[in-house]
Amino acid sequence: MIEARNLTKRYAGRTAVDSVSFEVGKGEIVGFLGPNGAGKSTTLRMLTCFLSASEGTATVAGYDIYEDSIEVRRRVGYMPENVPLYPDMRIDEYLRFRARIKGLGWRASRFAVSEAMDICSLAGVEKKMISTLSKGYKQRVGLADALVNKPELLILDEPTNGLDPNQIRQSRELIKRLGERHTILISTHILSEVEMTCGRVIIIDRGHIRASDSPQNLIRRLRKPGSVILELKGVVDPAKAKIEAIDGVKEVGVIHERGDWVSFAITTDPLIDVREDLFALVQREKWSIRELASRAASLEDAFVDILQQTPDAAVPAVEAPNLDLEDSAAESDDDAENESNSLTAST
Amino acid sequence: MRAFFILFGKELRSFFLSPLAYVVMALFTFLNGWLFISMVKAMQLQVSARSLIYNLFSSGWFWMGYFILFPLITMRLFAEERKMGTIEGLLTAPVRTAEVVLAKYAATVVVYLVIVAPVFLFFPLFQAVTGEGAAFHSGAVWGSAMGLILVGLFNVAIGTLASALTTNQLIAAMLTFVFVMLHYFLGFLQNFGMVPGSAWTAGMAYFSTTEHIQSLSEGLIDSRPVIYYLSFSAVLLAFTHLVIESRKWRV
Repeated sequence: MIEARNLTKRYAGRTAVDSVSFEVGKGEIVGFLGPNGAGKSTTLRMLTCFLSASEGTATVAGYDIYEDSIEVRRRVGYMPENVPLYPDMRIDEYLRFRARIKGLGWRASRFAVSEAMDICSLAGVEKKMISTLSKGYKQRVGLADALVNKPELLILDEPTNGLDPNQIRQSRELIKRLGERHTILISTHILSEVEMTCGRVIIIDRGHIRASDSPQNLIRRLRKPGSVILELKGVVDPAKAKIEAIDGVKEVGVIHERGDWVSFAITTDPLIDVREDLFALVQREKWSIRELASRAASLEDAFVDILQQTPDAAVPAVEAPNLDLEDSAAESDDDAENESNSLTAST
Repeated sequence: MRAFFILFGKELRSFFLSPLAYVVMALFTFLNGWLFISMVKAMQLQVSARSLIYNLFSSGWFWMGYFILFPLITMRLFAEERKMGTIEGLLTAPVRTAEVVLAKYAATVVVYLVIVAPVFLFFPLFQAVTGEGAAFHSGAVWGSAMGLILVGLFNVAIGTLASALTTNQLIAAMLTFVFVMLHYFLGFLQNFGMVPGSAWTAGMAYFSTTEHIQSLSEGLIDSRPVIYYLSFSAVLLAFTHLVIESRKWRV
């Protein structure tokens, strides 16, 4: 459905997207993931013919984005970031207008609009002025606009940006349902969204693709050590030493002490599950415990991990640009930290 | 072409559904009406060899209103779309940039014509009220109508280009204001200390609004100003198209 070859976009003195190549197959739901300013929107804008690439090209549904720009645009439903809409129009009026300029006839546009409004749960508010709508409704109008002419491909730029948790859950369901009929490329920096809806994730950072795989495989590839939490009744000192003696335990930290209870964070070798040995130890020592759990790695860990790697280590397939490696590694560390902070806040 | 008519309809609607159109129309008609009356009064006091139409359209006062009118009706065309980001939805829909530019331009020209049309009610009204014979001939009416249409085509094209150049409506309005005014005042360079009769001033005067409108309002239809206004409007629109397209290549 999409075939991007060496797409590059240079702004004055800055390369926003650097020789990006990827493919999206028919029927896939692909998540385009990356920190802010990674080049996600720029890439999507090139695919939707809003911006021209400085180098490279792409085909969408078999049509070249330069040669057959109109044909490409006919087949793509695009929802731009922040969903710009005309505030002085009513919802149905706006959608009718959009359906008509996308080539639907007078009659066909009526059916298409009411169908799109049904899908996006807009029935009943069709006469409202867009200027009076809440963010959540505006997003739905934007989505209804994107799918009104039943395009083969939906490109959604941060569709859940600024929604409340309940609305995010609803739109996730909606995107999953839409995936049955459309190929979807969705950009986001909200990881839980990708983990639950997308079959494949493309991680982009500083204009380079850093990984492209299913969320499960990305998590599996994670080289992070395991982590186990144990909460027991007793005092820190003898217990800590005994836990550290177990084979495979690398480090034991104390999370908190509350009254008689102590909570340990145990870092282990990634390939060894120490929980059974821990349980044996607890039995031997006759400790009372109220928690023994291993913390599962999430896509978030994979994301942070991938961004922390130096660009050339992460993707041997992409040519390493002339970067000062030390510099960029230090910088990407910073970025990943910032990103993980904002991620915990947003998820 | 289909997309052109849909976009044209949408532009017209959004003009006439906003209060701006009516405020401008009311004020403009009031201003012109007041000028018309002053012109009649002036002609009562002093015998004039020229017709009422000629005196009205060659008066600087009449054109003052136009300096404000064109910026007001053109400033939002592209600047607003770019500011709000709706241009992204517009240019990623399967429509040609040329259709977008022409639809916006044509809709604004129609708005302009609706706003200035009442001026032409003044003349028959004047005759009906006074019961006088014709103080002017019909050729003068048609000629000056044509002049106003040509001036509109040209100046709306200036405004369209200015609006495509910036995301700020105020800057677009200022640009239009300055260029509409400059174009008008080219005819008065000789009043600003330049040697009258020199090739330079004569050349400049040829570009000026007043120069053309005077011959037209005497009922003399000259093909030169017609070609001049139409070709310049086309060039300005071609520039607008270029500016919008070049956004894609932004570096």
